[in-house]
Amino acid sequence: MATLEIKKLSRLFGDTRAVDDLSLTIGDGELVCLLGPSGSGKSTVLRMIGGFEEPTAGSILIDGQDVTRVPPERRPTGMVFQSHALWAHMDVFANVAFGLKLRRLPKDEIHQRVNASLATVGLEGFGARKTTQLSGGQQQRVALARSLVLEPKILLLDEPFASLDQHLRERLREEVREIQRRVGITMVFVTHGQDEALAIADRIAVMRDGRLEQLSRPDRLYRQPQTEFVAGFVGQMNLLRGAVRSNVMTAAGIDLPVTLADGLATLALRPEDIALERRSGDRGAEVTRVTDFGTHLSIEVKTRCEHRLKIMAQPGTGWSTGMRAELSAHNFAIYRDGKLCFMPQPGSAQSSVAA
Amino acid sequence: MSVRELRQAGLAGIGSSRIRANWAGIAIAALLSLFILTPLVNVAIWAFTEVWRYPAVIPQKFGFRFWADVLSRGDVHLAMTTSLSLAAIVTALSALICLPASYAFARLNFPGRNLFFMSFLTVYAFPKFGLYITIATIFLGLGLIGNFWGVVLIQLVSTLMFMVWIPVSAFQNVDRRQEEAARDVGASQLRVFWSITLPQVLPAISAAVLLTFVNTFYETEVAWLIGAPEVRTVPLLMVRFINSELVVQYGAVLSLLLWVPSFILLMLVRRFLGAQALGRALGA
Amino acid sequence: MSRAEATRQDAKGGRLFGLLLIAAPVSLVLLLIIWPVALSVFDTLTVETPSGVALSLDAYRFFFSDGFSLRNLWMTIQVAAICTVLLLIISLTIALYLRFSTSRLTGYIQALALFPLFVPSILLAYALIRTLGPNGTVDILLNAVGLPKLASPYLTIWGPIIGLVWDNLPLTLLIVLAGLGNVSSASIDAARDVGANRAQVLRYIILPRIRSTLLVAASFVVLGLFSAFTLPYLLGPAVPEMMGPFMRRTIIDVDDPLQARTQAVVSFMICAAFAYFYVRSIARTRREQSS
Repeated sequence: MATLEIKKLSRLFGDTRAVDDLSLTIGDGELVCLLGPSGSGKSTVLRMIGGFEEPTAGSILIDGQDVTRVPPERRPTGMVFQSHALWAHMDVFANVAFGLKLRRLPKDEIHQRVNASLATVGLEGFGARKTTQLSGGQQQRVALARSLVLEPKILLLDEPFASLDQHLRERLREEVREIQRRVGITMVFVTHGQDEALAIADRIAVMRDGRLEQLSRPDRLYRQPQTEFVAGFVGQMNLLRGAVRSNVMTAAGIDLPVTLADGLATLALRPEDIALERRSGDRGAEVTRVTDFGTHLSIEVKTRCEHRLKIMAQPGTGWSTGMRAELSAHNFAIYRDGKLCFMPQPGSAQSSVAA
Repeated sequence: MSVRELRQAGLAGIGSSRIRANWAGIAIAALLSLFILTPLVNVAIWAFTEVWRYPAVIPQKFGFRFWADVLSRGDVHLAMTTSLSLAAIVTALSALICLPASYAFARLNFPGRNLFFMSFLTVYAFPKFGLYITIATIFLGLGLIGNFWGVVLIQLVSTLMFMVWIPVSAFQNVDRRQEEAARDVGASQLRVFWSITLPQVLPAISAAVLLTFVNTFYETEVAWLIGAPEVRTVPLLMVRFINSELVVQYGAVLSLLLWVPSFILLMLVRRFLGAQALGRALGA
Repeated sequence: MSRAEATRQDAKGGRLFGLLLIAAPVSLVLLLIIWPVALSVFDTLTVETPSGVALSLDAYRFFFSDGFSLRNLWMTIQVAAICTVLLLIISLTIALYLRFSTSRLTGYIQALALFPLFVPSILLAYALIRTLGPNGTVDILLNAVGLPKLASPYLTIWGPIIGLVWDNLPLTLLIVLAGLGNVSSASIDAARDVGANRAQVLRYIILPRIRSTLLVAASFVVLGLFSAFTLPYLLGPAVPEMMGPFMRRTIIDVDDPLQARTQAVVSFMICAAFAYFYVRSIARTRREQSS
C-alpha cells in the first residue's frame, strides 16, 4: 500500500551518532527487518519513521511525501511497541477504538471495525476484558489490532515479542507474517534476534553503530555477507585472522587458493562448510568438544596453532573428544578492512590442509 | 525513579516541537523565578540596606549597620539560646526513643508489629494545628502551657515522621543477606549491627537527625500555641518583629541570619536523601 | 548451640525486646495523638449533668449557629478550594514540563520549584509582607514604571493564598511528579501514534492515569490548609480568619477550650475523607518501599 524512502538520515544524541547517514527504500507491501545488536540505532530509525524522534539530518518520505517534520499523530504509520503500551484504564475494546473515536467515526462503524480488527488477531469476544486480565501474547495482539484498525500505510513493530517466551514468540511472528500477507501492508520490524529476522523478513537491513551494513534477502544475507560484521553477526561463523601471500590465504594453518593482492585478511568459514577427516597419531587438529544436538553434531577443534573452530557434522559420525582430524573447506569468504573481497565461485572445488 | 531518568525515558513525543516546548519552558522558568525569588531577593536587599525610602527602586544607602545592632540585641541572644537548646533537646530525645524503635520495626518480629507501625500514620491523619489544639486543652489543665517541656513534648510528636519513617525504610533497604553473611563468618549480632548495618543506614539517619533539628528550630506553631509567652524562640521573635518592629532591617537581617544555616543543613539532607525521598519524609 | 536453636532463641527474646524498643514512640502516639483527639470528640459530644455524663450536641449547635464561626469556616473552605485548584494547575503544568521536556531549563525549573522546601514559613511570611505589603517591592516596581498601585493582597484573603501556594508548591509538585512517573512513555507514544494530539493525550491518557495522584495531592493540600496557622495569621485578614488562627484565639484569648475543641473536631470531620485518601496513599507507598 505504500513505499517508504529514507534519505541520508542521521540522529545525534549529544555527541553520539545513534543513526549515521542511513538511506533505505522499502517497497509496497514489503516486510523489512531492521536487525542489529542493542545500541545499533535500529529502534531510533523506527522511532524516526513513526515521528517520535526528530532526525538531526536527512528526510523520510512515505509514498513520495516528505513527512520528516510531521508529528506522529498525523503520520500514516502505526506502531506496535515493545512493552505493548496498552492503556490500562481502558478495556480491550476501548483501546482498539480510541484512534477511531478521535477521528469521530460513527458508533456503528467503530463497533464493526474494532470487532473486525480483533478478529484479525484472533481475539473475537475479548472486547470487554481489562488489559490486565490478558496474557502477554494477548496483550501484544491487542496492540497489533489497535494499530491495524486504523489501516496505516506502514506498520512499525519495535521488538514486539521481546518479552514473550520462545514458543509464543515463534507462533506470533508466524501470525504477523500471515496477517501481513493477507492485508498486504508495508511493515518495518525491529529485532535483535536473527532467527526472527530470517524467519519473516522479505529483506533484512543489518545495522551497526547507526550505519547500514547490508540490506538483502535473508538467504543472501546468510550466504554472501558483504561485511565482516554481518558475517559474524548472522548465523555461526569462524572468523580467523591471517594473511594472503602469492594468491594463497593462510589462516589457522588452513591454506586456501585465492586471487588477491598480498596482505592481512580475515577468513570466514561457516561451521557447516568445513569437512573433517579422521587422522591418526598426533597429526591434524584436536577435537576438544562434541555436542550432539540431534539434528547435527557441533564439534570444536583446536588447531596446531591454537586456533579454535566450530564445525558442524552429521549425527552418528562417531566423533569424540581427543580425536585428531584434518579440516577442509569448500565454501569460504575473505574480508579485508571489514569488507568482502573474495569468495570462490560456486562449484569450483576448494580444498585445504590442516596443519 | 529520579526526575532525570524519567526525562530520559520520556524523550518521547517531544522531538517534533522542541521549539514550542522551549517557549513553554522559558515562560515557566520566568514566572516561577518571579514568584519564588522576588520575596527572597527583596529580604536579602533589605538586610544590607541602611536607608531605603519609598519609592526609590534601589536603596539610598547600603551598609552593615543593622547587622551589628541585631547581633548585639539581648532578645536575639536569648531567643537563639532558647531555640538552639529546644532543637537540640528535642532532636536528642527523638533520636533516643525513635531510632531503636525504627530498628525494631525493620528487623525484629513481635506481636502487633504492623498495627503499631501503622499507628504512626495517625500523625498524617489530622490537620496538625487542630491536633495541637486538642493537646493544648489537655495541657491547660496540667499547667504545661508556657512551659518549655510542654513544647518539647509536642515537638517530639511532630518529629516522629522523620525519625521513625526515614530510618525504618533505610534499615529495610539493607539487604538481610548481608547481615546473614556476616553472622555466617562468625560476627556477633552486635558486631553485625555495628560493622554491616549501621554504616549503610548512617546517611539516612543523619538526614533524619538534620531534618528534625532544622524543623524543630523553625517550628512556629507549637511554640506559639503552647510556649508563648514564656518560651521565646527565634520564630516567635520574628513574629514580634513582624507585628511591632518599625525598623524593617531587624527582621531582614534575622531572616538572612537564620536562613543561611538552615539552607546549608537542608542541602546536606538533600545530599543524603534525594528529592523524592525528602518529599516522602515531609509527607509528599 | 545449633544455628536453628540460636535463631529460635533470638526470635523469642526478640519479641519482648522489640516491644520494649517501640514502647516509647508508640506511647507518644497514644498519649499525644489518639488520646487528645478521642477526648476532644468525647468531651464536645457530652455534658456533665448531676446524674452523670449525657450526650449533647450543644457545642456543635453553637458552632453551626454562630455566624462568626461559620464565616471563619467558610473562609477556610474558600481558601482551601482556591489553593488546591491553583496548586494542582501549577504543579501539573510544571510536572508535565519536567516529565516530557529535554531542555536544559528543566534542571533550573525543578530546583526553583523545590526551593520553598528550604525556606521556613515564618521567614516566608516576613518576606511576603515586605514584597506585597504597603510600600513593598510590588508597589515600588509599579510606581517606577508609572503604573497605579494595585490593591495589596496583604491582610486580605489573597495574602494567605499566595503564601500557602508558595509554601505548598514543592511537596504538591513531588506528589504529582511521582504520579506522572507511573505513566509510561510508550503509552503516550501509542496514543499519539493513533492520532491523539497533545491536548487529547493529556485528557484521555495522562489525566485518567493520574486521577488518584491528583486526589492525593488535593488531600495533602486540604489537610495542610486546615492546619495552616502562621501564614494566615500574619498575612490574612483579622475578620474573618482561617480556622488555625481562629482556634488559637478561641483557646488563648477567648479562653473557651470547649469551643476550640469543637472547632478542631469540625475541621477533623471536614478533612476526614481527604485524610483517608492521603493516609491510604502514604501507607501504600510505605508498603511498596518495604516490600
